[in-house]
Amino acid sequence: MTTDPMTFALFLPLFGAMAVFLLPRASVAIGLASVAATCGAVLFLARDVLAKGEVMTALGGWEAPLGIALRADGLSVTMLSMTCAVGLLVSLGALDSFKGTGQMRTRQYFWPLWLLLLTGMNGVYLGTDIFNLYVMIEVIALAAVGLTVLSGTRAALRAGLEYMYASILGALLFLLGVGFVYLHVGRLDLAGLIEAEPSGALSAALALMVVGLMLKTALFPLHFWLPAAHANATAPASALLSGLVVKAALYIFLRLTMYMPLLDEIMVTSMGVLGACAVLWGGVQALRAERLKLLVAWSTVVQIGLIFIAFAHAGPPGLHESWKVAALLILAHGVAKAAMFMAAGRIRAELGHDIIRDLDRAPVRPTLAQFTFALAAISIIGLPPSLGFIGKWSLLEGAMSSGYWHWVVVTMIGTLLSVAYFSRVFAGFLRFDRMRNPVAEHQGWALADLPPLTLALAAIGLGLVAAPVLSFIELGYPFGAAP
Amino acid sequence: MTDPLVIFDLLLGLSIVALALAVLSVRDLFAAIVLFVIFGLLSALAWVRLSAPDVALAEAAIGTGVTGALLLKTLHHLRYVTGTLDRPEAMNLTPVTPVPMPVLWVNAAFCGLIALGLAVAFLEAPKVGPGFDALVAEAMPASGVDHPVTAVLLNFRAYDTLMEVVVLLAAVIAVWQVERGLSEAPAPHLGEVWQGFARLALPAIVVVGTYLLWVGAEAPGGAFQGGAVLASVGLLLLLSRFYVPQPAHRGIARLAFVLGTGVFSAVALLVSGGGRVAFEYPLEHAKTLILLIEGLVTISIAVTLAALFHGREPVALGEEERRNDT
Repeated sequence: MTTDPMTFALFLPLFGAMAVFLLPRASVAIGLASVAATCGAVLFLARDVLAKGEVMTALGGWEAPLGIALRADGLSVTMLSMTCAVGLLVSLGALDSFKGTGQMRTRQYFWPLWLLLLTGMNGVYLGTDIFNLYVMIEVIALAAVGLTVLSGTRAALRAGLEYMYASILGALLFLLGVGFVYLHVGRLDLAGLIEAEPSGALSAALALMVVGLMLKTALFPLHFWLPAAHANATAPASALLSGLVVKAALYIFLRLTMYMPLLDEIMVTSMGVLGACAVLWGGVQALRAERLKLLVAWSTVVQIGLIFIAFAHAGPPGLHESWKVAALLILAHGVAKAAMFMAAGRIRAELGHDIIRDLDRAPVRPTLAQFTFALAAISIIGLPPSLGFIGKWSLLEGAMSSGYWHWVVVTMIGTLLSVAYFSRVFAGFLRFDRMRNPVAEHQGWALADLPPLTLALAAIGLGLVAAPVLSFIELGYPFGAAP
Repeated sequence: MTDPLVIFDLLLGLSIVALALAVLSVRDLFAAIVLFVIFGLLSALAWVRLSAPDVALAEAAIGTGVTGALLLKTLHHLRYVTGTLDRPEAMNLTPVTPVPMPVLWVNAAFCGLIALGLAVAFLEAPKVGPGFDALVAEAMPASGVDHPVTAVLLNFRAYDTLMEVVVLLAAVIAVWQVERGLSEAPAPHLGEVWQGFARLALPAIVVVGTYLLWVGAEAPGGAFQGGAVLASVGLLLLLSRFYVPQPAHRGIARLAFVLGTGVFSAVALLVSGGGRVAFEYPLEHAKTLILLIEGLVTISIAVTLAALFHGREPVALGEEERRNDT
């Protein structure tokens, strides 16, 4: 047997998925064990990357371009660690969400779908071949659609169908772009793309792939599927979809822009403009949302927009720096949004509803879940010392130093909007005068509050160690240390 | 000098485009499905003309055969759900509100521009792309099989193929977990010819499917094509009610779904070690291992496609009621 941690990071969740599908009765134990073992493999991989900078394995012994290689560097290990750590905590939180006999079927199907999703995401973060990336996003898409409709409600089914159409269309556009790349370059590995001569056809290929990925990551105006899909899924599924799944497409986008440097001023600026539209439009929609989970889903649209602004904030000359800011924001959002969706799910479970207007009318006060929600909101708004703050601060600093003041304005407006829409929720948490009956004895705490609380604390705490995180992300950057 | 084949190719290309337009514009759903199947068959022919017999087989078996059956089954279920099962004329209209004409024109102009841009980009491409041909030819002796496509799919890029099988597994799990509040549509009336046809066709299908799988090692064919052909056995059994899925059969069905993925990934891991990485088959066993993987993957593909055609997890009635209560 091989001892390559990358191979294990791929195969452990895959074997886990097959085992939980075959043995539904033991699904919880096998599922948790597989996710934990995958975390272990990622830790070993992180150790290797710390020692060597980058790690490569040519699968089957066939070197690229004929074969497919797995490659890990600082960025991929960061994404892998986020996926596995958030995934493990969401899995622990899911134990409580799916308990009870009525949820047996949900519990049985949550595990295989989630483990297949983990396989697909790990495959994306280790992939070096654009056709392989296409196959991986198909694995992710089908598992994610399955998780979306897991709650079984009519609204979830409709949202899931819409999500599937958007997802498949995005994947097909990506595949068309892959076809064009193969036609012109004759190879599919990322490393081969650097040597390719820039041409109109390669730009067309890049445009196709980027539009496909935008559809998958839900960048304005291609975000239409996201709010309904993420708001109607069950809480653990929402946390996985919003915190992790949209990040896979973002990661491929970052990698493509590293290896296919065909972006000119117009393309980079238009990404930033779309991001700005997402921040403003998503912010307004979040202000108007009536349900807590819908508000959180719209905030994901805003954050995706912010990540694209971060990508564009210093123009094409700053691309070799700005991907790090984008990666930081991806990490911050992944951790905080998973915490927030799980906290929202807990609040809904305790109150029996998640209508924002009536948050203060319940006889039960799920204080710990509310606290978690507030902590996660601190990171998402971008208040110090959270990781979201560090990301936003680097964005603003970079934009100012390169003279792109318009991005500063947009980011500040977006921040104000996010303060405004989260304040609607906080007001519901804090006002008690509308409650006529005395608050019940049951305080609304449960062991299930711990995983989201841990995640929210991590989102704040990671801000304090942002410097080591940043230097880890840079490890093994394919083009040497940035100047 | 006009090669008659050029005229044939031109006619073929034009009829494919015309059929695509017809599929999109026809209002009768049944007619649209039939046109889609013809479209698929002609596309398979086009793949043959492009010297890609493997793709042609896959297009004919999966893109046309299985997909056509899935579409017809969906239409049958749709008619059942909307209560128009006995009134075929009621389904002649697509149940979609018409899009305003200006929107259509703007969309058409936008798509036209994109298509034009892609066409320009395509024409700019080199006539004979560099591609993998030389690399594959060089590595063929070390692959263990004689057919280049099989060597790429099961050896050089086996990782991609494994993940494609995983996609199919994810699809069937996702389909099984969707809860249906509705009972299954009654079986369509098949008439008298049916039984005799099934008796004649079933053995032939089994032979063709197995042959496609076996021949894949040295000629066009392989697991996906063979699996799709064998899946039609399952389709016939399900349609004729020779076999009705039972809740008690779920365990064995699950086993059949994961069989291909399981054995493929187990082999990939077990051959590694001692300096070898995953998927690196020892040359002397390469052909055996590839045939083993292909055979089991074929079974999984066939069962999975048939299960997708059935479209739901067989759940006991009591179980269904209990779920509705909660």
